[in-house]
Amino acid sequence: MKLLYKLILVLVGGVCLNANAQMPHDAIYMNKNSICIAATYSNSQWKEYWENNLKRENFNIGTHTMQSVMPMIAYGITKRLNLLAGLPYVATKTSAGNLMGQKGFQDLSLFVKYNMVQSESGLSLHGVLGGSVPVSNYVKDFLPMSIGIGSKTLTTRLIAHYRHSSGFYITAHGSYIFRSNIKVDRDAYQADDRVYNTNEVRIPNATDVAARAGYYKKGIQAELFIDKNTCVGGDYIRRNDMPFPTNNMKSTGVGFYGKFQPKNIGFTVMARRVIDGQNMGQSTTLSAGFLYQINFRTKSAEAAKKIKIVEKINHRKYASPSSSLIEQGAVI
Amino acid sequence: MKKIHLSLILLAAFSLVVSSCNKDIEEPLREAYIPTKLDEKGGTWKTYILASSDEVAVAEPKAAGSTEYQAEIAKLKTTISTITPENKKAVAYWGAGAVYRWNEIARELAARYNIPPASNAEGKYPVPDATKPLADPKFPFANPPYVSRAIAYLSVAQYDALVAAWNYKYKYNRKAPSKNDAAVSALLPVSDLPSYPSEDAVVAAASYTVLVAMFPGEVPLLDAKLAEAKNARIWGGMNVDSDISAGDALGKAVAAKVMGRAKTDGMSGANNQTVNAAAIANAKAQGLKSEWLSQELPARPPMLPNYGTVAPWNFDKATMIAMRPSPPPALDSDGFKTALDELKKIDKGQTREQARIANYWSDGAGSYTPPGHWHRAAANLCFQNKLSELATARVQALLGTSQMDAAIACWDVKNYYYYPRPQQFGLKTSVGLPNFQSYTSGHSTFSGAAAHVLGTIFPTEAEKLTAMALEASNSRVYGLIHFRFDCAAGLEHGKKIGQAAIARGKADGSGL
Repeated sequence: MKLLYKLILVLVGGVCLNANAQMPHDAIYMNKNSICIAATYSNSQWKEYWENNLKRENFNIGTHTMQSVMPMIAYGITKRLNLLAGLPYVATKTSAGNLMGQKGFQDLSLFVKYNMVQSESGLSLHGVLGGSVPVSNYVKDFLPMSIGIGSKTLTTRLIAHYRHSSGFYITAHGSYIFRSNIKVDRDAYQADDRVYNTNEVRIPNATDVAARAGYYKKGIQAELFIDKNTCVGGDYIRRNDMPFPTNNMKSTGVGFYGKFQPKNIGFTVMARRVIDGQNMGQSTTLSAGFLYQINFRTKSAEAAKKIKIVEKINHRKYASPSSSLIEQGAVI
Repeated sequence: MKKIHLSLILLAAFSLVVSSCNKDIEEPLREAYIPTKLDEKGGTWKTYILASSDEVAVAEPKAAGSTEYQAEIAKLKTTISTITPENKKAVAYWGAGAVYRWNEIARELAARYNIPPASNAEGKYPVPDATKPLADPKFPFANPPYVSRAIAYLSVAQYDALVAAWNYKYKYNRKAPSKNDAAVSALLPVSDLPSYPSEDAVVAAASYTVLVAMFPGEVPLLDAKLAEAKNARIWGGMNVDSDISAGDALGKAVAAKVMGRAKTDGMSGANNQTVNAAAIANAKAQGLKSEWLSQELPARPPMLPNYGTVAPWNFDKATMIAMRPSPPPALDSDGFKTALDELKKIDKGQTREQARIANYWSDGAGSYTPPGHWHRAAANLCFQNKLSELATARVQALLGTSQMDAAIACWDVKNYYYYPRPQQFGLKTSVGLPNFQSYTSGHSTFSGAAAHVLGTIFPTEAEKLTAMALEASNSRVYGLIHFRFDCAAGLEHGKKIGQAAIARGKADGSGL
């Protein structure tokens, strides 16, 4: 179940990252030298889960809850190249049974997003490279209570985006996520229907795809999405056994994302419900975030001049049907 | 646009590189060795079940100079010349040692079957059915008592069969094929141990017979392992067919006799749940204020409550009762409060090191259990010390019987005192809660016995093994599922159980 979070929170750049002015899976960029800091609270719960493909509940878990607070920072290196970093603090608990909750700082993630293609028609392509590393030696295989599976990850992602001048847009992305093997506290474990006599555990890689449709204009964003996170291989939860980091976890989710940012202070909300899955919980995730954007260039006269130029450009872009979210960086 | 294309290509190339990274798990290789001692007198060592080492007859082989044997050698040479890379891999795998590998296979099956049954729609836990081993729930539920017993019989069968094999090896004294004919190129190191009957075939057949009985759903896998174990000796040029077939017959015959004990050792009554009421009444009559209750939802019947009545190996029932640890602290005593306070403190601030120790020794559901953990340690010690197959089997039999005795004696104690778990006083656990009474700790009992047995056989390792046992015992406190006194009493009790196994070992004629 932990992988659920891994996939949602970090790899997909999901619930936590959603709180920000921009995310590793959207087509929104910060202006050069702009900084956005954000914090998001997320609450994800499941009562039923898929034991392999068998949907069941577990009276000795009741409702499983994972909460997280994710501070995040985004920085505009240029208007087409942005940097995003985040580090969630995660806590787990159950409503029944006697499994001890776990808590701690999880994985530090860093993403670089680059606007590779920008056409006049409003169509754009974006490449994302990212990665994550655990910042603490949390227990990785006490699932579903562990706060993470402790894998180091590398993500490559391609985003295609179209935005109409009216503010309506569609976005689609696909990612491949490399996940490193991990070391666990025990020196033997069962996976792939055999016993491995080592403390090294093979973690399957993963992919994620998503499609989004929404409206974004004048600081208001509203979006519906569907996403699918899939491990590339892996084994399954055996009958009545506990999950393990090697499991082939899959989930398909649908959700809503909204943002209101009239000026440099903004708020976000997100809701996601898993509609299908395997080897993981059918979770419902709710999150709310706060963000604050700083543009350092306003602090010098020279920068102010540049801003005027940028504003002119933006003004022109708004007027043209080819304007996209990217050009709106200045008003995020 | 050039820049655009370049970035796309770079992204694609990076994705490709990243997705093709090799993440294969590497486990230590085990290379075959020539034993430091051949244990030539092994045929005289005291057996567990066999009345004597010639109780099962093995016919005299054809002499090395006979035409029949020469024909076998010729066939062996032909086989060796046609082996595939897969065959060679099998030769190397089994070259680690027959007892080593079959013990490993048993641990693997233990882990595979170590999952408690799920509750059904009526809130009941169906009992695994030996006649439908692959139905839900699978048979067996390979919990620690079950695994201790399965590997005890496995090890005893291997040991008794090898004592018999050693008797015939030195009685008939037919050398290995490559010693009889230098043109036979063996793939593994060849010792001076006579090769008839094949010790590998003896172990394979004995192991197969026990494991098929213990894990009846795994016949196809065990059939394949048996065939490969025997073939590997031919592919490797180590044995001729008649070595193998004689070993196979001997191993099966001895194991059948060993399984005769298993059928009548009382295991069939181990899950008798009707004993609980009387056990609770007895514990309460001795002053227990509140008894152990299942903390699972729905409440699960305790694991094998009558396992304490199974027949032990190295002592009798009266001795077992006499060894029973003294009562745990009363629930309203200072001793209990001190132990509970220790757990509450860990509950509030379990350190990462405490969690590591708890996890390392957890050996819970889905694992090969604590007896499996110690058998693995024993297998590695035997391997590192280059023991013969026979001496390895002896170590595993001494350990295996001590582990089964530990399970029997500990379950007797658990059922006798019927003491509640820490979770009945509001504590959580970081390792999962076993569904049976708290006093005494099974892990501690298994570990106390194992460390004493292995530490006596490998004295240079004794200190390390004792430290391991203490850590295993402590792990149950760190994991919050046992009181300190459960563990201390279990460890001490385990040591006495180990001493009984060692007493037998000292008198078995091996001189070790």
